[in-house]
Amino acid sequence: MNASSAQSRLRSVATTLAVALTLTLAAAAGCDSRQEPDLPSVQEKLRETHIYGQTKLRIGVATNEPLMGELRNGQHVGFDVEIGRYVAASLGYEGDQRVEFVSVSTEDRIPALQGGTVDLVVSSFSMTEDRKKLVSFAGPYLVTTQEVMVPTRLKDKIRTIEDLRDPAYKVCTSGGSTTEAELEKHQVRTFVVKDVGDCVDGIRKGRYDAVSSDESILAGFLASFPKEFEIVDMPFGTSELLGVGVPIGDPALRDLVAFFLQKSYEQGRDGEASPWQTAYNRTLGPWLRAEKRQPQPLEVPKLVDFDDKAPAK
Amino acid sequence: MSAAPTATGGDGPVPPPRASAPADAPTIDGTAAVSSPDQGVAGVAWPAGVPVAAPAQPVVAEVEPGRVRWDPAERRARASQSFWTAVVGVPAIFSVLRLGVEAGGELQTTLLLVANVGPVNLLAGFLTTAARLLSTGLVAVFALGAVLAVSADRLPPGTRRRPLFARWADITPAWVVLASFLLALLTWPLLYLPLLLPAFAAAFQLRPGRLHERLVPRLLLIGAVLAGYGWLMLPTLRDAVQQGDEWLVLALLVVPPLLALFIAGPLPGLVIRPLASVTEVAVLAMLVWAALPVISTPVLPLTVTTVGVENGPTEDVRGHVVTTDDVNMVILQERGGVRYVPVDLVRAQVLCPSEEELPRHRLRVHDFHVEDSLLEGLGRRVRPVHRIDAACRAPG
Repeated sequence: MNASSAQSRLRSVATTLAVALTLTLAAAAGCDSRQEPDLPSVQEKLRETHIYGQTKLRIGVATNEPLMGELRNGQHVGFDVEIGRYVAASLGYEGDQRVEFVSVSTEDRIPALQGGTVDLVVSSFSMTEDRKKLVSFAGPYLVTTQEVMVPTRLKDKIRTIEDLRDPAYKVCTSGGSTTEAELEKHQVRTFVVKDVGDCVDGIRKGRYDAVSSDESILAGFLASFPKEFEIVDMPFGTSELLGVGVPIGDPALRDLVAFFLQKSYEQGRDGEASPWQTAYNRTLGPWLRAEKRQPQPLEVPKLVDFDDKAPAK
Repeated sequence: MSAAPTATGGDGPVPPPRASAPADAPTIDGTAAVSSPDQGVAGVAWPAGVPVAAPAQPVVAEVEPGRVRWDPAERRARASQSFWTAVVGVPAIFSVLRLGVEAGGELQTTLLLVANVGPVNLLAGFLTTAARLLSTGLVAVFALGAVLAVSADRLPPGTRRRPLFARWADITPAWVVLASFLLALLTWPLLYLPLLLPAFAAAFQLRPGRLHERLVPRLLLIGAVLAGYGWLMLPTLRDAVQQGDEWLVLALLVVPPLLALFIAGPLPGLVIRPLASVTEVAVLAMLVWAALPVISTPVLPLTVTTVGVENGPTEDVRGHVVTTDDVNMVILQERGGVRYVPVDLVRAQVLCPSEEELPRHRLRVHDFHVEDSLLEGLGRRVRPVHRIDAACRAPG
């Protein structure tokens, strides 16, 4: 009898505890459901950026890099332009009326961002440690290598970096580019002009003998003049990580751009048609020797968005 | 609750039956009271010496001079009438209140909405947003009521009035309780669904002893059920641990199934009274607190309308479309105020999510987001692609 009464008492204590705990949990759940989300959301980040409330988004692009950024019949076309359009649409700026493409030359990319004439730069902008002190980068959205393009007449003569050092050949590159620094490191004397397009013009007019730049930019010129040029594979040994340039004072915008690049990356990884893949197939894809994939963006923040509840598969 | 026989479970002394309506008396739902057949089978009324735990209120009414005397059948008819009045009236009143809130407190805007939002749409919209609140209230009342009822049966009989929730649970047919749990199962976020297990065990006073009469098979069965639950939840739990600060989620997923094993049974007499009063106040406060967001949830869907002349500059109007006729589209702007936009100037229109829909957790249970209800989760499987239109990002 005693044992059974002790058991019954134990049971009633257990029941009391269970009821109390359930009520506590339910109350905690109720409070939790009414709390503000503690994860930063895309919308919240957007309010922190300097572009919030702007009617147009100004994107700095190149206008004379075929396949990457080019002005053709008054229309901006190219891989960088498409990436810029995707980022703009993700940020709430869809359609030509909302996006203003601003032409920036290679050397003007950093001043344009610093001076506030553009909100973003998508123009074969390599992410380097030195530049990161002046502007922020979201990306990379493309990994490319440095290459040399020579006119067909010289394709057998210029094969190595050693050949480039030969004072007989005039090597041209664009000012303020990573290529300029890289060539200098290899003690190659260069003629520095404003844009890679000027080098190509110069070669066609006989002023220079070779042009060095990113593979993606050179592929564009090769596509424009397929019979006149050839790309020579040289072991420069550095890969160029192309990123979207953002003013250094706007970390929220950098985070958002990185977040949307990551979104495209995840779509592509899951085998869906990603915006990156579409842009690549329409522009660079057919002209590169080796097929490229979207690289995984770095330092992507964790943000919540409206589509977070959508099924992953 | 009318499922009085189940309330006592298999073990323990059988509490004395409560006073109930005559067998032919209709209950709220029109069916005969479930407890009355027991009496009918017994064939005889309980002897006068058997104490009755139910309150003796009707008797007071009969004795008191100068008051109208209601016979039980009439009382039930009136209760049924009040019940249906509440069922129809409360949503209607809430819906109209919501229109006032939706209109931003402006009389003319409220009248515009009243003129243009159909009563059926209004009611359907209300039920869509209030189903969760409704089921939560019902589940809380029935679970607490059953716990208090089974505990009150243990009290010295006739000494005290039975707690309110216990009386509500007594008169509610089992199918209503079951329907409330089903509604909760479909509309609660997955994260809170484990709480339904102890609530269900409490409402129907289900003890592990029901599974099997012998201890070993019973333990094996419980072990198997818990293992299955663990297997279902393991990936989510792992994610929650990795995310670090999701302790509440962990507790909500792990603890309730264990509580369900112990929750059935009577409480010590000491805690019944305070529990009854505290929970009554708490449930009422919860309902009021949770009703506020329901009242302020928009009635009309949120859209962004792009307005502008052909080839000219455009403007995004963020708001709820009240009505469209041949001349104008009437938009109640998100920040307030009504815009009459000429139909010819409307360039585009997109449906947008509101910020209240943003998730608070980044966890999934087998690809179902923990903040989705089963219904929402299934819906997302039917239309898996969710595209947020660029215009929705534009400031309002």
